[in-house]
Amino acid sequence: MMDLNKKLEHYRINRQEYSKIKELLGREPEGLEWALFSALWSEHCSYKSSRVHLKKFYNKNSRVLEAFGENAGVIDLGQGERVAFKMESHNHPSFIEPYQGAATGVGGILRDIFTMGARPVALANYLCFGEPEAERMPHLVEGVVGGISGYGNCVGVPNITGQTEFDKSYNGNILVNAFALGLFEKGEKIFNSKARGVGNFVVYVGAKTGKDGVHGASMASESFDDDSESKRPNVQVGDPFYEKLLIESCIEVMAQDLVVAIQDMGAAGLTSSSFEMASKGGVGLKLRLDRVPARDSSITPEEILLSESQERMLLICEPQNYKALLDIFKKWNLDAEVIGEVISEKQVQLYWKDELLTQLDPDLLVENAPQYERSYLPWTKEHKDESWTKGLPSVPSVTEKLMSVLKDVRGTSREWIFRQYDQRVGARTARDCSDSVGVIVLPQTQRALGIVLGHRPYITQWDAAEGAKDAILYPALELSAKGFLPMAVTDCLNYGNPEKSEIMSEFVAAVENISAACKALDTPVISGNVSFYNETQGQNIISTPATGVVGLKEDIKNIPRDCFVKASSQIYLLRLPQLHISGQTALQQKRNVTGHGKIEVNACAQFVKQVREMSQLPGVEATKVCGKLGLAYTLSRMCTTKLGFRAEKGLFLGEEESNAHWFTENLYEVIFVLEKDSAENFAKSWANLRNSESTDKLWRMGEVTEGEVSFSGEAHINVEQLLTAYNEGWRQNFESLA
Amino acid sequence: MSKKVGILRFLGTNCDQDVWRAVENVELQPEWLWYQDHFSESDYCAFVLPGGFSYGDYLRCGAMAAKMPVMKSLSEAVNKGKPVLGICNGFQILCESGLLPGALIRNHNRHFIDEWVDLDLVSANKYWAGELNECSIPIAHGEGRYYVNEDELKKMEDNGQIWWRYRHNPNGSVSNIAGVMNHKKNVAALMPHPERAMFDWMGSQNGRIFFESLLR
Repeated sequence: MMDLNKKLEHYRINRQEYSKIKELLGREPEGLEWALFSALWSEHCSYKSSRVHLKKFYNKNSRVLEAFGENAGVIDLGQGERVAFKMESHNHPSFIEPYQGAATGVGGILRDIFTMGARPVALANYLCFGEPEAERMPHLVEGVVGGISGYGNCVGVPNITGQTEFDKSYNGNILVNAFALGLFEKGEKIFNSKARGVGNFVVYVGAKTGKDGVHGASMASESFDDDSESKRPNVQVGDPFYEKLLIESCIEVMAQDLVVAIQDMGAAGLTSSSFEMASKGGVGLKLRLDRVPARDSSITPEEILLSESQERMLLICEPQNYKALLDIFKKWNLDAEVIGEVISEKQVQLYWKDELLTQLDPDLLVENAPQYERSYLPWTKEHKDESWTKGLPSVPSVTEKLMSVLKDVRGTSREWIFRQYDQRVGARTARDCSDSVGVIVLPQTQRALGIVLGHRPYITQWDAAEGAKDAILYPALELSAKGFLPMAVTDCLNYGNPEKSEIMSEFVAAVENISAACKALDTPVISGNVSFYNETQGQNIISTPATGVVGLKEDIKNIPRDCFVKASSQIYLLRLPQLHISGQTALQQKRNVTGHGKIEVNACAQFVKQVREMSQLPGVEATKVCGKLGLAYTLSRMCTTKLGFRAEKGLFLGEEESNAHWFTENLYEVIFVLEKDSAENFAKSWANLRNSESTDKLWRMGEVTEGEVSFSGEAHINVEQLLTAYNEGWRQNFESLA
Repeated sequence: MSKKVGILRFLGTNCDQDVWRAVENVELQPEWLWYQDHFSESDYCAFVLPGGFSYGDYLRCGAMAAKMPVMKSLSEAVNKGKPVLGICNGFQILCESGLLPGALIRNHNRHFIDEWVDLDLVSANKYWAGELNECSIPIAHGEGRYYVNEDELKKMEDNGQIWWRYRHNPNGSVSNIAGVMNHKKNVAALMPHPERAMFDWMGSQNGRIFFESLLR
């Protein structure tokens, strides 16, 4: 007999929670109940530290069909087309076993999408790695990218965009956040996970249950220590081929309307799926655990309940449809098994052979999970370092500085990563990972859907509130610069230990400011995920609220390029002055990020709208939102067609200003490249489009050249040299990777 | 003449619907051919084996698909001279089933590669792509490095069985080979994906002619 303290530790349940369990049950928990509470009351499943704050999200408007209640959010795009999307973390498993951790992250997020009835049509990834020289880092990079590639390519869902950050705060805790989007075409139904209909069958379909991933959910709910290596057996193994069969067969059974409710088995496996389905549907379930297809006959009921074996689904079907359902699964070579039935009494009864092991009201585990008001402080201006007023010191050579920025791991091309992803399977991709916006074409209406992932950790590091606003506004601006209307948002909030008030303060600041930005843009947050305890040996990661913003464009024409199109075209700079920060350039110089200013979300939302209108004006060849590392870097990345540029600081800043301005970050700036003859009209249209109270300004700042690059006559670089630095920097940082 | 194009579907095929839409786009009639079924070749004007990961690429790419019942019917169709196109995993299946010479092995850099490639025509195939001399279409494969031994390569070259060559070899293929034909030239296959280059918004329309040429 385990003593109580050992038991609490084993099941990761604290004293306070233990008292609450006793109160709810009116007695001591027994047997399997320990494991059930442990799983469903884990941070990962219950959102116990974040729930009170997540309610604050701006999450509704007329387009929203589903937000937060189900596996993924759904929005209506009109004309019968709807999309489901969500983003989720797989940080802990990926640090322990990068290939399988990342692969199963992709598998899990895809199941969240097709569980709703939507066909997955796009994937994206937000990755944060440590410094290239950190221990195991090349191995982690190779494994994570390999896992995403191995899984996504095989299931046949294209990876169309992403973001990859490098910072020392992730040395001991990398972030792997996977985004997936699915499409409902005209007439296709949205499914949910509410169990209903007394007497209906509970059907298990997919891979057999093994002992892998037992206690995975509670593992993801605590910090890393020296012992992380020993947690390797907790990481599951994915089988993308099996997932592909599940996608096709589940979509087929849903198209034929053979299921009443459906849920994937994700974190905490069968436990969370069955208790949640019962709780949501307000019914009970009688489950026969001995009928669950198992890989191994030595598996115990507790392991069956907690296993996180991948590629498994639970569904409810009417008995008369079971035969037809089985035939479809058989056609796809999958085994399905009836493991129970829906009962009227609101109890989940767990049987092993004919013995009732335990029965519990599902609401006790789901609805009554603890909700903590963790302590935090309201966010104030004192949190940010505004010591920086004079700007970066002047650089001795613009050429040398630009070359070093292009080769730096922060600035270098990510092609090594995305070349390993199938970006075109599905034959819907119009813009791939090499562009700032990933774009797919909706087949029935030929409209374009744009996806951008966002959040810049160094801005949050400087100020959690500004970083959160930017996490929405920057991707929204990138969408609008290509003519897309931002529609809705998903997020993946990666934080350290929520029991520390400084972490919780940053978390709350992020939720409130993301919400404010979303409200200003009318882009509701429709789904998401929280990952706490991203700390290793007391070192917290930079708070990282990653976001995914989805936008719509009514036609696929007139999407401005990311690169220069022809020589002698005119380059314009549009600026709405908000923040002025030393940004990644300072980090590259091993200094802290400093800056000044504040983001006004309403002014920015107006600006986003204006930029969208400007992107559609006649003669706009290319646009690019100025991002990390400043203007010189952004212009350089537009040279992929081997055209260069001549940029004149005097045209927009004054020649006397420091040449360091080429490398500082001004939020928000957008570059427009205009065909020569349209340039004059463009400037006139800007004056008409802008709100008279807006503080934005437009300058002509230079022109596109045949291949020479210069900055106010200071630097003369051949474009080939510049592209070589940008493309080869990766190899210099990761020599050991093939 | 029948306008029906049979599209072979195996478990794990994932470019099936893309090929379906491409075939529909050039006003031919696509029809599924399920891996467990047999079919009568006379109902169809041509057959396509789409790309993907049949059977998860487990064992060896294309090895399991090559043994499925539908391949028996396909083999009969090939004997009767019906045109067959293999794309990516379809190419691998045709090599594994012996309907095409050679083998496709792991890319020289060991990674999956997704990128646009430029192709030059070596010998034209009268059914697929016709007189198109060069084209730009995307590749997406981990095991697309074509291999045959020198003697076989010589024979294939002499008999005009080399269909396309990469202008810049992405994967280490022997003699820069991107696509080949069988001895009778009715079976043709390539690693790049023409169905991903059907419209300007995809990046190029060069793939369209691969399917359109069936109508001529």
